[in-house]
Amino acid sequence: MFEQELLQKLNEHINYFPRKEQAILLCLHAIQDHYGYVPPESLRHLADLLDLPLNHVEQVVAFYDMFDRETPARHRIRVCVSIVCHLLGKKELLEALERVLGIKPGEVTADGRFKIVPVQCIGACAEAPVFMVDEDTYKFKGEESLHEILSRYP
Amino acid sequence: MRSYPVTPEIYAETVLNMLLKRAKKPRRHTIEDYLREGGYQALEKALNMSPEEIIDWVDKSTLRGRGGAGFPTGKKWQFAVQNPPPRYFVCNADESEPGTFKDRILIERDPHLVLEGMIIASYALGANTAFIYIRGEYPAGYRILRDAIEEAKKKGFLGRNILGSGFDLEIYVARGGGAYICGEETALLESLEGKRGHPRLKPPFPVQKGLWGRPTVVNNVETIANIPFIVNLGWEEYRYIGPSDYAGPKLFPVSGKVKKPGVYELPMNTTLREVIFKYAGGTLNNRKVKAVFSGALDCFTGEELDMPMDYSPFGFGGTGTVIVLTEEDDLVEACLRVAKFYEHETCGQCTPCRVGCHEQAYLLEKIYRGSATERDWEGFVFVNRYIQPMSICGLGAVAGRLIRQAMEKFPEEFERYRKKLARAG
Repeated sequence: MFEQELLQKLNEHINYFPRKEQAILLCLHAIQDHYGYVPPESLRHLADLLDLPLNHVEQVVAFYDMFDRETPARHRIRVCVSIVCHLLGKKELLEALERVLGIKPGEVTADGRFKIVPVQCIGACAEAPVFMVDEDTYKFKGEESLHEILSRYP
Repeated sequence: MRSYPVTPEIYAETVLNMLLKRAKKPRRHTIEDYLREGGYQALEKALNMSPEEIIDWVDKSTLRGRGGAGFPTGKKWQFAVQNPPPRYFVCNADESEPGTFKDRILIERDPHLVLEGMIIASYALGANTAFIYIRGEYPAGYRILRDAIEEAKKKGFLGRNILGSGFDLEIYVARGGGAYICGEETALLESLEGKRGHPRLKPPFPVQKGLWGRPTVVNNVETIANIPFIVNLGWEEYRYIGPSDYAGPKLFPVSGKVKKPGVYELPMNTTLREVIFKYAGGTLNNRKVKAVFSGALDCFTGEELDMPMDYSPFGFGGTGTVIVLTEEDDLVEACLRVAKFYEHETCGQCTPCRVGCHEQAYLLEKIYRGSATERDWEGFVFVNRYIQPMSICGLGAVAGRLIRQAMEKFPEEFERYRKKLARAG
């Protein structure tokens, strides 16, 4: 079962909408923020809370890209690989991240701190190339600046 | 005031001082900021009008949907009220088209403009429950909207008996989970019901059977931000802004190889050339424009820059997204990025789109890498053409479009790669 703190947050989401099943995505975000991913065993508990069949919850979590059922990571670095960031240096951004963290896209650092996730357009194209760390969006300003930004995410 | 997640300082400029009057400054404007500049006066005025009159004004204003399809907003509203209540109003903030970041700055910087539009729309449509569905990648926008709704409730602009009018409204904010397809209105409604974002067959349209089978109007953020202006100015004065058939301000997110990327608020009789050279500062290193992608939808050439940025058959249309490519960019590689985008974002419901988007990207990548055979080339051309007519929603309908246009308009670029085809094998 979920820890008290998370359970309270989930219940807030569930009581927020006119119908409780509408809260499924908000709940999945909360679960992922809490555990660093969506643990497979959490889906059964979430299904119970939402009064939904387990297979409905599994279908939903599989459909939406932001949810990661495989590898826990404390922070997700989402790197835009769409057209505009591609034109303006996403390659340099990815290479710099790979050098700084010593991992490839899709991998997690040995200490479980960061995972690099290539994503489609994140809607900040005027600042391309851009990336997100958890909820924050940044313009890439060279490898040096990465150290400072990443140090904010212990 | 609480702090929000870090958002980039996207440049914004306006010649009309309407939608971006406040949002051109990169900070969140509170309800006090909004009220100081006459905010929520349109709502007061609207609540003293009849719903029919508001719908009539919106219709006469010629306002068209700013989410890409350009459908007349007033007509959509007229269709919806022909169907019995309860009705719902939904604001589509699932902005995810490549190169598009216009709705983001309205939500993050001037949320009350969007809320005021939503409240007026809900009143006109007789909806007592409304939703705004924001994409998962805009966490700051989500929190800003939640807070703005609380601010509006405290002032009596939301909740029960709004400003003593007897009209009740609750607005809920829903967050997406990273799926481009949820910007398609029926997929959005499915997602809002807590399901996978699979588009529905149309008809019935959402104005007939939308959320939970009830009549529902889905409008884009920028569309709805126009509503307070139409009410405040009146439809006649509103039609003086820009060309009278395509009236009103339009936001153009400009990115790619330009000197001043950002969001520009301009009338729709502006040309693409003016957007790029007069406003966005021209191209990087003053290179020649090779192509302009309107998001992942259309491919225009450097010879087509004199088209107006309106919704006419020869206009730029769509969401107004301008992505500039110059002569130093490889068009086939750029098309590959577009193909990869559709491959990633097809929802998987219809086989032609699911398999077609995958094959299109796979074969184009082979062509790009020089490992394709003549058969691969033929397969690519075939697949590109046949995703379109056999899909439920607009994504399948356009998944091959930009690439097909690029092949027609830039045959020499593709020819270069074709010459590299491997011998039959």
